[in-house]
Amino acid sequence: MGAPFAAVRGLLGSDLLTHRPDMRVIGDPFQEGASVVAAPAIRPDVAVFHATRADRFGNTLVSGALRDDVMLARAARRVVVTVEEIAEKELRPAAGGTFIPAIDVDRVVCVPRGAHPTGCGKRYAPDGDHIREYLEAAAGEGTFRAYLEKYVHGPRDHGDYLSRVGLRARRKRGRDA
Amino acid sequence: MTNAYTPEELMAVVISREVRNGETVATGLASAVPAAGCILAEQTHAPDATLIILGSRQYYPFPAGSSELHFMAQRGELDLFFLSPLQIDRAGSINLHLAGSYDEPALRLPGAYGSVLLYRVARRVILFRTEHTRRTFVEKVDFVTAAGVPPEGVAREGGPSVVVTTRALLAWDGDGKRWTLGAVQPGSTVIDIEENTGFPLVVPQPVPTTPLPTRQELRALRTRVREKLRRIYPGFAERCILPP
Repeated sequence: MGAPFAAVRGLLGSDLLTHRPDMRVIGDPFQEGASVVAAPAIRPDVAVFHATRADRFGNTLVSGALRDDVMLARAARRVVVTVEEIAEKELRPAAGGTFIPAIDVDRVVCVPRGAHPTGCGKRYAPDGDHIREYLEAAAGEGTFRAYLEKYVHGPRDHGDYLSRVGLRARRKRGRDA
Repeated sequence: MTNAYTPEELMAVVISREVRNGETVATGLASAVPAAGCILAEQTHAPDATLIILGSRQYYPFPAGSSELHFMAQRGELDLFFLSPLQIDRAGSINLHLAGSYDEPALRLPGAYGSVLLYRVARRVILFRTEHTRRTFVEKVDFVTAAGVPPEGVAREGGPSVVVTTRALLAWDGDGKRWTLGAVQPGSTVIDIEENTGFPLVVPQPVPTTPLPTRQELRALRTRVREKLRRIYPGFAERCILPP
């Protein structure tokens, strides 16, 4: 949209407003006596998200039920998309997926299984066992540090991460862009 | 088919009875019980209800994500939504944020996302909890995620309608700004409900009781609804809805 703020109905009376000084209550200039919350536009420096496929220009196809990635791509100044595979042919808007045009994407990185431990559309489901392992580890300071060491700081690369979580890196289809 | 039912089946049946034919009804994240209730309503008395179920292919019409649902509600086009707060208080306020103090919470939840807005702009909101205790029904919530009674001069469509739990159906009296005992669920009593609610309830005489789930409701729930629900909440459909 590019608007400096959004006028939001319905937030008034929430304690959220006392903890979020960036959200202000203003009068609705078009409706006598009515108030709305002015929420400033969020402009991230960088957005990173995972998609199914992208071509070498940056045209991206996202699958799955939650498709707010388009909004994220538009809001951020720089956009990095990790994908399951690089498409050989130029991608076009298609039925059954969400299309993000190359103009909104700055970098594409081929990272198969990159959404783990969450899922990626029809490609693979969330890894419930690993998410449970994370939840248990996150309950304590020491176990959480051990988790970070094993899965975040420890792995040499993405392939090493995948083998630590019990998955093998698949051969990349297509070429890296 | 057994006439016995799980607590979740009872809640789904009670919720389905609240859905009116022709309404536009939506469920959000982690909302298996109301999703079951809404599909049951569609399969029984409300065939013309429009269902919007987040996470469903069949029941999610928007191409651009959950923000579209919020925008639709802000336009005043959403009749009914469902929330499951950590706490509900005497004044109809709900807490989906945290337990304890804001700065040092004993428990921090993922956040309220659209619920702050939806509690105000959806025409009606049904609250649901399987746990009905003094921990969930409190005098004053630890954090007001959304207020039952908004400040003066705020344009609003709806707000709280009823709370559905395994013990009771509580109805919000918008004029009196208080909760009344709408119905006692099968197996529960007024004393049981009062002991487990952290604020006084208006108890009408005679006390209404929830009619038992009918065979027709249970059959629809365990066949057509369960089949559809498996594609949205597979674990819940398997565990909480009995096989036919």
